[in-house]
Amino acid sequence: MGENHTATPEIYLSEAHRLIAAVTEARLMVRLFGSLAFQLRCPTFSHLRASFNDIDFGGYNAHAKAMAEVMARLGYAENREVFVLTEGGRAIFEHPTHGLHVDVFYEKLDFCHTLKLSGRLEVDAPTLPLAELLLGKMQIVEINEKDLVDTFMLLLEHPLSETDKAAINLAHVARLCADDWGLWRTVTMNLNKTKELAVMYAALNAEQQTRVVNQAEAILHRLNAQPKSFAWRLRARVGDRVKWYNDVEEVNG
Amino acid sequence: MTLRVRDLMHTGLLTCPPAATLGQVAALLAQRRVHALLVAEAGQPPIGVIADIDLLAGEWLSADAESLQAMQAMTARELMSTPLVTIAADADVSEAIRRMHTERLHRLVVSDNAQAVGVISVSDVVAHLGRAPLGRRTVAEVMSRGFVVCRAETPLAAAARAMSERRSRSLVVVEASGRALGVVTGYDLLPTLLENSTARTVADLMHPPVTIHPEANLREAVDMMVRHHLHRLVVVDAAEPHTMPLGLISTSDIVAHMAAPNSVWQHLSS
Repeated sequence: MGENHTATPEIYLSEAHRLIAAVTEARLMVRLFGSLAFQLRCPTFSHLRASFNDIDFGGYNAHAKAMAEVMARLGYAENREVFVLTEGGRAIFEHPTHGLHVDVFYEKLDFCHTLKLSGRLEVDAPTLPLAELLLGKMQIVEINEKDLVDTFMLLLEHPLSETDKAAINLAHVARLCADDWGLWRTVTMNLNKTKELAVMYAALNAEQQTRVVNQAEAILHRLNAQPKSFAWRLRARVGDRVKWYNDVEEVNG
Repeated sequence: MTLRVRDLMHTGLLTCPPAATLGQVAALLAQRRVHALLVAEAGQPPIGVIADIDLLAGEWLSADAESLQAMQAMTARELMSTPLVTIAADADVSEAIRRMHTERLHRLVVSDNAQAVGVISVSDVVAHLGRAPLGRRTVAEVMSRGFVVCRAETPLAAAARAMSERRSRSLVVVEASGRALGVVTGYDLLPTLLENSTARTVADLMHPPVTIHPEANLREAVDMMVRHHLHRLVVVDAAEPHTMPLGLISTSDIVAHMAAPNSVWQHLSS
């Protein structure tokens, strides 16, 4: 994903809202994710994050053409090469005026791990469901402080539940992790990193640090309680001897 | 009389050393024609079990040269299942069956006086079921449900290889829907060894399938085989005769039935 240095956070936020309004009016099943989604869904703690790199959406391939038309009407130019090279899995748009990059992933988010979107875009709006927002961060193998801070925001703002209704759906997260040892490995590693950073993070008060740690521990407990498939147990025995994640290639928009 | 685990178990321990590579374990499994080995140092108690399905991890996770190397270096100790799940030799077989079913296990290590003395597996239990006294049977009870199929355009060399590798004396030729088009046997392939043979695919050699329904009794099956001088019949569902056959009943199946310890052929009236 490309990085734009001229756009301020305010430009990013207002543009995200403009895009959301446009896709909503066009009735497209396209949902915001990434750091800007955390801003929208965690308003109480949005102050913890001050900078953004791009605007990310997830959608269904059936809406790719319509999405390209919406983006064109909003003044964006598409990098067609990316769409072709990814066989319709991804589209990158750039605005010639403010230089913002918009990245749209179709059918799945393919990073260190793959998160399928089928059936999930209907669950929530205008962002991906909270479970996917969490997983989107927790699946990053080389997670950085900004990603962990986004995670703090989510865990502070939202309760944990076994459903998607106004909560982080742990049943869904646990099912995905119980079926994919590699995903479980990365997610649990990052939940532990979340706990480690939270207790040292000066921008959180003591009560907030405790809440983040307790939330992360509750998620870890839930993941470990989920019965594991045979494939998971077999893969677990091999462990880190074999690489368990994909390398993420930078695609220049 | 109550059936005990010791009555059905396989006595003795088939083991592999903990340091054995996956390739070495595979060779031992194939050589001993078993599905699992206990992992143990020579003269020591077993510490785990490694089964054929565990070895699938080798092929499954070898996506590139690096991961292949990692899997080639993996040992039985690293891939085995632990802890050992044991059952007492004097336990009722019903307890073994219940545990295998509820705990989704294929085998239990049998212990006697805190020592591992054997293994009882699902196969041991099923073999015992098969030894129940029997009367005259139906085709369904004797036939082989697994059989080798191929399409009509299969080259003859490929057909021969399939028969050899699968240790099958015949191939059922099917179309895309599964309907049986014919049968080709090793005997049918003999003429292709002659110089003037123009046959190229199984379609050139196959003969029409002679079918029977699974509910037919053995005498009916044998009657058809004798009258048509056939070594096998294709078993089809009477309700859906144009779908994939249900199995094959062959002379081998019938002979195996006759040789079974509890068959009427072994319980002769005096």
